Amino acid sequence: MRVIQNTLIIGIVAGVAATASVAQASDDPIQSRQAIMASVGAAAGLAGGMMKGEIPYNPVAGKAAIATMRAASVNFGDYFPAGSDAGKTDAAAKIWDDADGFKAQMAKFAGASENAMKVAGKNGPADLDAFKAAFGPVFGTCKACHEGYRKKN
Amino acid sequence: MKKLLIAVGILAVVGGGIGWGLSAPTRLSDAEVASLKDGSPVKGEMVFWAGGCASCHATKGAKDHDLLKLGGGLRLETPFGVFVAPNISSSDEDGIGGWSLADFANAMTHGTSPEGENYYPAFPFTSYARMSLGDVSDLHAYLNTLPAVDGKAANHELGFPFNIRRGLGLWKRLFLDPAPVISAPAGGAEYDQALWERGRYLVEGPGHCGECHTARDVAGGLILADWLGGAPAPTGDGKIPNISPVDGGFGSWSASDIAYYLESGFTPDYDSVGGEMVHVQENMARLPATDRDAIAAYLKAIPPVVGGS
Repeated sequence: MRVIQNTLIIGIVAGVAATASVAQASDDPIQSRQAIMASVGAAAGLAGGMMKGEIPYNPVAGKAAIATMRAASVNFGDYFPAGSDAGKTDAAAKIWDDADGFKAQMAKFAGASENAMKVAGKNGPADLDAFKAAFGPVFGTCKACHEGYRKKN
Repeated sequence: MKKLLIAVGILAVVGGGIGWGLSAPTRLSDAEVASLKDGSPVKGEMVFWAGGCASCHATKGAKDHDLLKLGGGLRLETPFGVFVAPNISSSDEDGIGGWSLADFANAMTHGTSPEGENYYPAFPFTSYARMSLGDVSDLHAYLNTLPAVDGKAANHELGFPFNIRRGLGLWKRLFLDPAPVISAPAGGAEYDQALWERGRYLVEGPGHCGECHTARDVAGGLILADWLGGAPAPTGDGKIPNISPVDGGFGSWSASDIAYYLESGFTPDYDSVGGEMVHVQENMARLPATDRDAIAAYLKAIPPVVGGS
């Protein structure tokens, strides 16, 4: 369990680092946004594992999960330039057809994760209940966007 | 696609013209009608969520209380044309408030309207036909407690010959069968028989999972040999996944993974639910936990469809 936890945390930190440097690392917006979404998935895996009790709760891990979401939320929407609907992507055409709607979903993601960062403070949410309260609203924004803006798969 | 249209067109014309008798709408027997008892609206609420009624009959994008306003209007764009979900609110004028319980049961289990017309199978009566008349009665009682919404929904936009409802009678003879799809648990997995049967009832009946997760033949009937093996999305782009327990696919989900997904909307990899499945998952999250466990138990013990979507 300890090993899993450490691996996840390392994964998350790597994810945050990737988020910060994708603009330099890749000129391919599809690759960039997929890398960001992979870090979101890893953070969700850590958060969900702790919420379900499969991974022991740890405030540092809690903060890492929240900070990853926050970093992704302020970046992710920038990697959908016109024309990047073509290629190996699950991004639905609606992202471009309804750009304002997509922007509104991104704003919800950013707002929820910003709020979670505030709750996390310097040391992360103190216990699992505090973490659930902070992270739950961020989780809720995943499917709100995936409902209309991702291809069915 | 053109071939499909022609094939179904011929079927419809044959049904509408030559096979007039064969295409007559069916109804509950007199004995079944006599056995109907007024249902419980409290129990009916659970049937309502299990059946996903709001996903098509509420306004698109509705959440929370708006899910109970069943004025219809959702457009389902399919190869046969556009189907528009009707008003099934308790309005006497525009909804189904004036229907008797027998009218409602005929619609749900025979796809036949009070006026004796055939419904199009965009309304999944082919699945609802497997529901118990007790559940149908409870659902009717619950629907009567929901708000009346004024205004009829628009008509379907269907070209000839799909606009001839009589032709559907023949289609129903071919594809309307209330027998269970899967007769007994499959595979070597350990299962609880009662739980599995409850899951079968929910999945094959009210949950109408097969309507999207099973591929259709040229006439638009489900290919039962490929039950829950995935299919092209009936509306929009993309595909509906194979949810049979196939190796290297859905088979890697444990029963608790499936139940957790239906409760939370997260896959074992913490990807989130998307598309129309968001509504379905949110409906399933309202059911008792034992029902989600039952669905999981069933999905773990049905034949895997290798080579599905």
